[in-house]
Amino acid sequence: MISITGILGITFGAALLTFLLHHLVPKLRNIVAILAIGATGYIAWQLPIDSYLLHFTVGSFDIVLGNSAYSQLFAILVAVLGLFALIYSHDFMAGKERLGYYYMNFLISLGGMYGIVYSQDLISLFFFWEIMTWSSFMLVIYCCKDAQKVGLKYFVFSAIGAYAILIALVLIYSSLGSVTFIKVFTGFSSMSFGVQLSSIILLLVGFGVKAAIMPLHVWAPAAYSRSPLAFTAVFSGALSKMGVFGIGIVLFKFTSESGYFSYVQTTLAWIGALTALLATLYAVFQTDARKLLAYSSVSQLGYIIVGLAVGTPMSITAALFLVILHGAFKAILFFATGAVYYRTGSTDMNEVTGLIRKMPFTFFSALLGIIAVSGVPPLGGFISKWLLYESLIENNNYFLIIVVFAASTAAFLYLYRFIFSFWLGQEEKEFVDVKEVPWTMKGPMVILALFTLVTGLYPGLLLAPISKAVAYLGVSGVSYETSVLFNSWGNKIDMNNVIAMITVVFVSAFIFLSIKNRKRTRYVTTKDIHTSGEIPKENENLTYKLDFYKPFERALGNLLKPSVDKIYNRIASNLEQAFDHLRYIYTGNGQTYAMYVVVFLVILILFSELIFGVKL
Amino acid sequence: MELNWIKIAGFILTPIIAFVVGVTYGGIVRNITARVQNRFGPPPWQNLFDIIKLYSKKTAINHGWMQHLGPAFAITASITSLFFIPILRDSEMFSLLSFNGDLIFLLYMMVFGALGMALGVGQTGNPNAAIGVSRGLSQMVGYEIPFVLALVAIMIQYQTTNLNDILSAQSQFTDWIIFQNPFAFIAGMLALLGMMGYAPFDVVFAPAELASGPPSEFGGKYLALMQTSGSIFAFAKLTLFADLFLGGAENFGILVIKTFAIYMFPVFVGVVNPRFRTEQSIQFFWKWPTAFGILAIIMVAW
Repeated sequence: MISITGILGITFGAALLTFLLHHLVPKLRNIVAILAIGATGYIAWQLPIDSYLLHFTVGSFDIVLGNSAYSQLFAILVAVLGLFALIYSHDFMAGKERLGYYYMNFLISLGGMYGIVYSQDLISLFFFWEIMTWSSFMLVIYCCKDAQKVGLKYFVFSAIGAYAILIALVLIYSSLGSVTFIKVFTGFSSMSFGVQLSSIILLLVGFGVKAAIMPLHVWAPAAYSRSPLAFTAVFSGALSKMGVFGIGIVLFKFTSESGYFSYVQTTLAWIGALTALLATLYAVFQTDARKLLAYSSVSQLGYIIVGLAVGTPMSITAALFLVILHGAFKAILFFATGAVYYRTGSTDMNEVTGLIRKMPFTFFSALLGIIAVSGVPPLGGFISKWLLYESLIENNNYFLIIVVFAASTAAFLYLYRFIFSFWLGQEEKEFVDVKEVPWTMKGPMVILALFTLVTGLYPGLLLAPISKAVAYLGVSGVSYETSVLFNSWGNKIDMNNVIAMITVVFVSAFIFLSIKNRKRTRYVTTKDIHTSGEIPKENENLTYKLDFYKPFERALGNLLKPSVDKIYNRIASNLEQAFDHLRYIYTGNGQTYAMYVVVFLVILILFSELIFGVKL
Repeated sequence: MELNWIKIAGFILTPIIAFVVGVTYGGIVRNITARVQNRFGPPPWQNLFDIIKLYSKKTAINHGWMQHLGPAFAITASITSLFFIPILRDSEMFSLLSFNGDLIFLLYMMVFGALGMALGVGQTGNPNAAIGVSRGLSQMVGYEIPFVLALVAIMIQYQTTNLNDILSAQSQFTDWIIFQNPFAFIAGMLALLGMMGYAPFDVVFAPAELASGPPSEFGGKYLALMQTSGSIFAFAKLTLFADLFLGGAENFGILVIKTFAIYMFPVFVGVVNPRFRTEQSIQFFWKWPTAFGILAIIMVAW
């Protein structure tokens, strides 16, 4: 049972089972799904590394599935996020329709992701890639009729990516005669320069669509805001990381002697940095929480791509650390948005306000999620940012670090807006009856929030498996202890001291504030404020919401005017017009069709030498 | 764990010294501002008396536990930042935790307090406060860019991210970074204008426009802790700049002289300037200060 067939079998079998159970015994279906993913997670953890556990031949192609430290990291990410999202779905999706369809596609997409990370040849990678895309597309269009238009954008871009991978696969096969990873890794440098470069670019495009690199990211805001929020956590936390998985393999296992590789790396690093910055700036001005989090995901993926593309041991470690952390804190934020949606029915940040006293656990988890995204110590996000900046400085990427840092500073803006809009501000009568969400929804959020805290305090715990994954990619690891990180100049940061200092001072200040004049400290409502002597009336809600960052928008000026979305729309409408002209071939008139046949025969006869090689 | 009494004395003394010095600077600056405006200001110890008065107030009002915690976040950030900066060079008592952290950690720690305060301010429900926070965060995107450019230039030039190494590289008067990398110094000082919050970049607190912005709803012990944290943080920032550009100090007399000299720059710019709008202040930082920062890096890279 401890094998890759076990994992894939359990996942896909459970998918089918939940679909059948939905029609027979609905109550069992959630439990089956959760148990299945729990079991696969356990198997993924126990699976021995560096083993080829499945190998068979179909026709003239070798299908190889195997495990490695790198695969294990991503597999556990998929398992944990999938498990939490399924537990969360238990209450979040209760009472919705077509739940059999939902759970089946959920489990199929998780199975596709497992297949991708365990693939050791390009064909099975492509096969499971398509399975994952197709099932997640089904979930994107789950909610409503108009989601189909949005789902179409996702599908078209995924198709572009998938066919890019396919073309690269064909190129490699025709050059090397095999597409198993072993053969490709060793034989890559023996291919001609043109084939090498085009296959790398095609593979990067293919994986980049999923990893939402600009300008291939346009499907992300729409798709993330339409899929059900329980799945979006997995979508953004694990699915997009499949692109990162592929990019990691392309950048580090396809070794080549030629010098063009450093150009590819530099270009990719700059694309990643610009993605991070521009997506952050787009996120600042969103009013729908889901779109904000979608752009935030795109920008965090930008950081990860920068880390991978720069290629030093520390930067790859930073990228992989951020892969895990991003899964955790994005899941928290999407779960929190889902909690707000579950209780109030809306994710519009201009509508919902003042929920902090009603949903304290959600607020606490969202708070830790926010602090982790922004990279403020002592949570885990700071560790990944520290590693990334140190690696960029050591590697002399001066200007890259400025773009990344600007993105990081601008991230504070949208993160603050997210948490301020939903939980802080003046309380509103409409939301007086909002209660906290049940424990199946709170539990995953709180556990993930505590995870970010633990990784901040003991980064060494997470750095151990990451170092093994980095070693698989062929790069030596970075030196660290359980709570101390070093850079190659010998400077260090000791998280023990940081946490000790923060705890001591914070607790002392808290005790001081709470004890001093305890009996004469009053709580007043948010309506009782100092507004130049006036007291706001009951129906006036004076929370500052609309155009929260108008000054910043004015400062940016015309920077955000050009939009890749518009370019794609223009290409699409031009193509549509061209095809519209093309359809006039079908005149519906039988005589025209007869003329087409005659013309075709004439052309064949006239050019028979060119086409057939014989003169007629 | 052996108790190193010298180090523990350092930990206890440093915040107290920082507070006293910071508060006195605030009072002296009020006098300078007053003289420029052709009037006599309050006595230099007025700020200290204000804070003592606030601590002795018997009542306090809060709008919820996030606001209750806001000042705790602020003072945690101030004191932790202070502890990771070497106050005096080559001093066992006052180098505190500076060997265990580096500049990148400091950059983020300085934001920790602002973030905590912003969250506390958010719960008060005061629209002026929220506007102040949004302006403050936007302005931060402005001045952080030249500041980080200056820091990156210094870090690359001296191949270290630790402040102690930067200090030991400035052993002689001519080794001070103000002379070794003047563009970094200029970029850093222009960024300091934004960090200190004097005019023309005081749109965040804008007393006559926003009813003092974020601290609007804080009173009593909360305001006392906030102002304490503000004084300590001001001293921490000034000491950071003195260590980065002017070679640190061997004793407190020289430290006071150097930090006061650095402090005079934002103060003098502040007394003679009106207020910028938020977008003007952000765009200001993205022009000449960023240009100087880029020049600083180019000068080092070549």
